[in-house]
Amino acid sequence: MNKLRAVLVQTPLWIYFVISVYPLVWMISYSLKNNDEIFVTNPFGFPTHFRIENYIAAWSQFNIPRYFINSFIVSSISTLLIIVLALMFSFAIARMRWKFRESVRLYMTIGMFMPLQVIMIPLAILVRDFHLTNTYGALIVPYVAIGLPFSCLIFYGFMKGIPGELEESACMDGANIYRMFLQIIVPVVTPAIATVAIFQFLSNWNEFMLAYILISDEAMKTLPLGLLFFQGQYSTDWGGMGAVMTIASLPMVIVYLFFSEQVENAMTVGSAVKG
Amino acid sequence: MNRYLSNKKAIGLFLLPALLIYSVVIIYPVLQTVYRSFFNWDGLSTATWNGLSNYRDLLEDPLLITSLRNGLLFALVLAVFQIGLGTVLALACADPRIKGRKLLKTSYFIPVVLSVTVVCQLWIAMYDPTNGLINRLFNLLHIPYQQNWLTSPTVSIIAIAFVNAWQFMGYQFSLLYAGVKSIPEQYMEAATIDGCSKWMAHRKVTIPLMKENYKFCLIVAITSGIGAFVQMLIMTSGGPGTSNYTLTYMIYRYAFMESNYGYACAVSVVLVALSLLATMIINKTFDRNEA
Repeated sequence: MNKLRAVLVQTPLWIYFVISVYPLVWMISYSLKNNDEIFVTNPFGFPTHFRIENYIAAWSQFNIPRYFINSFIVSSISTLLIIVLALMFSFAIARMRWKFRESVRLYMTIGMFMPLQVIMIPLAILVRDFHLTNTYGALIVPYVAIGLPFSCLIFYGFMKGIPGELEESACMDGANIYRMFLQIIVPVVTPAIATVAIFQFLSNWNEFMLAYILISDEAMKTLPLGLLFFQGQYSTDWGGMGAVMTIASLPMVIVYLFFSEQVENAMTVGSAVKG
Repeated sequence: MNRYLSNKKAIGLFLLPALLIYSVVIIYPVLQTVYRSFFNWDGLSTATWNGLSNYRDLLEDPLLITSLRNGLLFALVLAVFQIGLGTVLALACADPRIKGRKLLKTSYFIPVVLSVTVVCQLWIAMYDPTNGLINRLFNLLHIPYQQNWLTSPTVSIIAIAFVNAWQFMGYQFSLLYAGVKSIPEQYMEAATIDGCSKWMAHRKVTIPLMKENYKFCLIVAITSGIGAFVQMLIMTSGGPGTSNYTLTYMIYRYAFMESNYGYACAVSVVLVALSLLATMIINKTFDRNEA
């Protein structure tokens, strides 16, 4: 009886396991097939022999390396800037003593409740007016601004919890405020930095809407954007399309498999503060 | 110490960079959007004030009804699929007797880290009427139902919403799972000792205690439903016809395809107002139950 119940409880879990993972398995497996095998002889199963030529064609004929580089530059620079600016801001809000810090904190929080779509139009015009269109800046500047409210909130929470004695002893030892920030506070909040870094890198890496509106130059496209244009090019070659999508996805999936706990935590922490 | 920590120069130095970029890129554009919604403006030439007429036109725009309806449908699919199914999976997965929990959790989350473009393209292939996985699967199982998933004006919005629901299921699942895990085990033990069955105990104890988690999940589901855009853009370009338009799609079309920026700003204002309203209603409803 107990056994039966255990099976009953497990069944939905494994059914959804298949629903969650099978589409990806299917994608990878058709990236290794030719059209005949996908459509006629073997639509569901694993490929009979591995057709690496889809991958060679995808890599050499299209701009995939370029998209990767662009995505990497945009995501890492934005993430780095977010961390630096948010750390500084949160330090001033959480640790230093001045009159309007609570209002400034609330002002920063507003950004978390603004749907991104509202700023889409003025942002496009802003980027145009600052002559940032089709540069890395067109994405880095907005991504930094969008990432700040969340990151500041996380750092603020962490910094609030640091005991004042740490600062006092630093003060006694004659460290100035900047040294204290760099050598006492920043090392103490390292776990928060890791969380913010994962969360922001992932969001920036996969951001689509703003990139779509702000970037039109082929050479500046990020990965999610570049992939869009394979749709037309490859509409008759499913294997090639599958190869492109697999190449684009694997790095993130592998990183996730290595750091799954940290990634999930970062994402859940990111949300918990929003509620 | 006090003087040390109220070093004005240092405060300014720490504060200003973040404050500046945030104000210029987020706050100023939000205010601009509201302000510009009262203008007739093509984004380039001088804008002319036309008061509320953008909003009046909006009320008569048939696209608004389509967009609102689609937004609600989208939100409904997300809420039911992610929160309903997510709850079942989270409760089942929290059972310590289950084997392979780590594997299950990890695999549920994988779609979250994929690029939305990949996910959409993958599902375009899966929805393909002749070669796609879904119709072929039905065929294989001898289910006579076949569908032009993405070109049918009635089914496509659900099909598209499902793609979003599928991709971010793992995210909501993780939130709910964390909620289940945060409830002390003694509560469940006490309930089972009192003669509750496991599911009964969950219904009476676990789920009510997860109120905060549900509140948040619901806000995420509803606001992302109302604001949906990318999936429509990639999978059907808002079509067939205009049948899959959403509010964000309207903004995109009026601003960037028809250069009717003032009007698009008015749509943006409606979108923000709706999102905030939904958040407020959800908050109020959940807080009232507390009393």
